[in-house]
Amino acid sequence: MLKPNDEILIAYLDGELGERETLEVMSALARDGDLRAHADRLNASARLIRAAYDDVLRDVVPARLIAAARGERGLTTLQRALARLARWRAALGERPWWIGVPVVASLLGLMIGGGLGYLAGTEQNASLAAQQDLLAVNAGADWLDNVAGYHKLLIKAGSNDRALMDVPADTSGDTLHKAGQLPPNLRLPNLKPWSLQFQGARFLVIDGQPATQLFYTTDNKNLGALTFVEAVSTKPDLAPTFDRRDGLNVLYWRHHGHAYALVGTADIGYLWNIYNDIAWQLDAI
Amino acid sequence: MSGSIEHPGPAGARAVSVSFSDQLVAVLPRLRRFARGLTGSAVEADDLVQAACERALSRAHQFQAGTRFDSWMFRIVQTVWIDQLRARETRRTEGEEEALGAGTDEPIRRVEARLALREVQSAITALPAEQRLALLLVTVEGLSYREAAEVAGVPVGTIMSRLARARMALVAKLGGDALRGSTEDVKAE
Repeated sequence: MLKPNDEILIAYLDGELGERETLEVMSALARDGDLRAHADRLNASARLIRAAYDDVLRDVVPARLIAAARGERGLTTLQRALARLARWRAALGERPWWIGVPVVASLLGLMIGGGLGYLAGTEQNASLAAQQDLLAVNAGADWLDNVAGYHKLLIKAGSNDRALMDVPADTSGDTLHKAGQLPPNLRLPNLKPWSLQFQGARFLVIDGQPATQLFYTTDNKNLGALTFVEAVSTKPDLAPTFDRRDGLNVLYWRHHGHAYALVGTADIGYLWNIYNDIAWQLDAI
Repeated sequence: MSGSIEHPGPAGARAVSVSFSDQLVAVLPRLRRFARGLTGSAVEADDLVQAACERALSRAHQFQAGTRFDSWMFRIVQTVWIDQLRARETRRTEGEEEALGAGTDEPIRRVEARLALREVQSAITALPAEQRLALLLVTVEGLSYREAAEVAGVPVGTIMSRLARARMALVAKLGGDALRGSTEDVKAE
């Protein structure tokens, strides 16, 4: 080898060459000062390239990513604990301040160890029912954050990209069911009367439960893109309730072991009307 | 398929094993670094990692036990990234870059070093997507050429040539003197 080309030289620096080629490059470096200088610059650039992203490794990983990796999204542990503390303080009302101490201790236990085991330890200070209610409220808040977050993620990633969909809408919903592409227990509402075109479905895990996000688009700018989330739920039935999350309107309800949500920028009036249509359809499906 | 993963698919109950999630959490810092290099934006990188986590959990049953989990996740990140690139032009968040050293007593030399690193990041972001991918997988994440080729889904020779083009472009862009000075500053930090 007279003089190694850039590919070979870089492969040598990366330790990717076999023994014979390595010896040839070493020999070339020994007799060519310019080549050595070139190799030094390449080595220096590699150090810089690695250093350029070192800060990211030292960053604190955002809670939302940890939650996503664990199949959930929403408030951070600390936020949840603080929210519970605030609610418990309100629930304790005029009771002596020291009653709250075990509650705070149990919160710290939760923050350190996690889990729901702390419920047993605090039973003497606040009723179990009240605590479960508080947990349910927080869990509901998480769920709403999730459905809103998944809507935004879909919109931001490119709402018309079929590659994003686990099941793109190339056929009617019924055909998709028959093809085994959608969960057999999923009920797919027809929103064509609202000029909403089904674009596809994504399979999610929200708060540890399987969920399906159905995506609809329309040319009607007053309505905008809409997602309809249908998830398994162990919580009691809930009448349709309106909320706002991250600039989005969310209309959600629970019925017979399922949680539903309509998410979008559409005016609440639209959402209520679409809800009525969906509720009628789901009863009929 | 990994025996520790319970994930029957979308139609059934999704019981994702703790060990899978733990592996995912453990690799998050590297996924963020990889995504930062791909997108050139902290916000977009985290969104990308989040989407990749979501996709990984929904396809946990596809992970082959005995293979490298980090490589599998890099592949998912790059797949999601390519999906997003196809869907839209990557938008750089204006004003995202913090004012380095402004209002602090950080030594000027160190600020200059950090600025140099930002310059390197910008140069990497300006590379063609396939060259950037090869560079990040091999030079930053330390994958072998063969492993990088598997993640990118291309032959080893393609990785080799893309990497060489990327490295030479960076050397040309950053300049020899700047390279020497910057690395000395980085080492001094």
